Amino acid sequence: MAVTKALDSAAAGRWVSLETSGEGATLHLAGDWRLPSLATLGRALQATRSVRPIVGVDGQALTALDTAGALVLLRHLQSLAVDPGAIAFDNFSPAHRSVIDVVSPRLAEIAVEPVRHRRGIVAEIGFQTESLGRLLLGHLNFLGYVVGGIGSLIGHPWRLRGQELAAQFEQVGIRAIPVVALVTFLIGVVFAYLLGLQAARYGANIFVVDGVAIGMAREFAPILVAVIIAGRSGAAFTAQLGTMKLTEETDAIRVLGLSPMDVLILPRVFALVVALPLLVFIGNVMSNLGAMAMAAAMLDITPTTYLERLSVALSTRHLWVGLAKAPVFALFIAVIGIRMGMTVNRDTRAIGTSTTSTVVQGIVSVILLDALFAVIFQALEV
Amino acid sequence: MDTVIEVKDVVTRFEAQTVHDGVSFKIGRGELVGLIGGSGTGKSVLLREIIGLQRPTAGSIRVFGTDVWKATAAELAAVRRRFGMMFQDGALFSSLDVAHNVAVPLIEHMKLPEEVLWPLVNLRIAQAGLPADAGAKMPSELSGGMRKRAAIARALALEPEVIFLDEPTSGLDPITARAFDKLTRFLVDDLGITVFLVTHDLDTLLTVVDRLIVLARGKVVGDGPVRDIVDLDDPWVRSYFSIRTMAATPSGSEAHGT
Repeated sequence: MAVTKALDSAAAGRWVSLETSGEGATLHLAGDWRLPSLATLGRALQATRSVRPIVGVDGQALTALDTAGALVLLRHLQSLAVDPGAIAFDNFSPAHRSVIDVVSPRLAEIAVEPVRHRRGIVAEIGFQTESLGRLLLGHLNFLGYVVGGIGSLIGHPWRLRGQELAAQFEQVGIRAIPVVALVTFLIGVVFAYLLGLQAARYGANIFVVDGVAIGMAREFAPILVAVIIAGRSGAAFTAQLGTMKLTEETDAIRVLGLSPMDVLILPRVFALVVALPLLVFIGNVMSNLGAMAMAAAMLDITPTTYLERLSVALSTRHLWVGLAKAPVFALFIAVIGIRMGMTVNRDTRAIGTSTTSTVVQGIVSVILLDALFAVIFQALEV
Repeated sequence: MDTVIEVKDVVTRFEAQTVHDGVSFKIGRGELVGLIGGSGTGKSVLLREIIGLQRPTAGSIRVFGTDVWKATAAELAAVRRRFGMMFQDGALFSSLDVAHNVAVPLIEHMKLPEEVLWPLVNLRIAQAGLPADAGAKMPSELSGGMRKRAAIARALALEPEVIFLDEPTSGLDPITARAFDKLTRFLVDDLGITVFLVTHDLDTLLTVVDRLIVLARGKVVGDGPVRDIVDLDDPWVRSYFSIRTMAATPSGSEAHGT
């Protein structure tokens, strides 16, 4: 005796209906059991949960069945503690039956929830601190390695590759002149305007020259130019060397008996160490030109007066203080840029993240070094 | 037979160079078709034209009856939901782990509750022959073979009717490559998916492919079952398969001798 029981909701009945007999219930599937209706199928099956035991599944009215549909069915049976292998699948078309056979042996594998790592906030802080420490230690180590490389040149100066050095110098030095000149000129204009606003109130117009000349020479030109170069050349070093590492070019250099230190590292370091002071000097000149233009327009200081005052106000001491910082900034920018490139992970996304990181590290290190210089110069009273 | 892909009189020109000069063929449901041809014959270009990434100079391409290059954006999107594509190097999203890579099309096109979504993602990963713990791995942590399997899992996500494979076995060791061939065969035999693949791998061609289409000199010079193509009287085809006969004869006899 068989009783066909309509389900509570008519919607569920479109997909699945129950037929109960002496030994248990049979699920009658109907319609398209396919991916687009998966969520509905899940709900329809849930509506049949109360009736057990399930002894069979009937597929006569099925019009389509894909692996997603089969998965929902089999997982439902599993959740009722019904072994899909032990019950009857009646009236399934051969195609639908094979879909069931594709999915059922994989049920055990699928049940494994992928482990998702998520750290707590304390663990995250610890983890980040540790990786930052590791990074800084690595940079320090690499700095020593580079200084060692520079030292080894003393006995063998011919190992410095002139051609590579010239090419790098052109890239990081000569081609950076326009952007450095433009930015420092404009900062000179702004700086003179800012000081002029204050100085004019006290009739101390002429001291704008002192302010701009000393301020730019000691602090702002070195910092500004170093920040520009960290963004420009530091990032370029990372991107170039990172790509070379991905394409195994750096490995090829080693295998061919060349030293990456001679071919890749030293030319870049030297080029930047030489170029940065020169760019800072250009920055000094351009910022004073900018200030001179602003002073003439706003403060009635003629260029001649400006230059006269400049020769009195700006002692060479100030100039040297600024220029002396530049090679140190350059060394750090180069070391960070090169190391970040040479230690890039072997996937394409890593170059992007490393390049971004290089720029941030370069700028932060320039400002940290500048603060350190301020303390040192203050103690030395220069 | 139900035609799923129809390429008709396709002409492709890059400036002065003509890559395709009237290419036509049809692919029916449930077939496993291989496209071969020498370097520069535009196999990958043709594939990109079929899936709507690159516009042919002339001719028409129909997938599921929709003209890919005359379809509106909505029509093309509907066609794209019905096929999967495996790019040569996987083209997995490097910022997502494997499970989320596979989940992307499901999340984008199906509103599935979490408790249905993740088992389904795991099923796709298992179908592609990856171990269960592969889901949590990032693409950069995978070997070449696993990357291709993850790409297959993503291509399978929406239960496509057709799968396109671009050089599925290139860069794989022979054992992994043969396992991949088996997987391809399984897609066709057990899941009833139509597979269209571009390959240079002779083993793939000779063991799993039902039908071969040969591109040479801008045209289809051969189209038929593999054993017919092998005997085809075309200079390129002859030299292509003669490599195989040369390579196979000595090693083959040795293998049987021992």
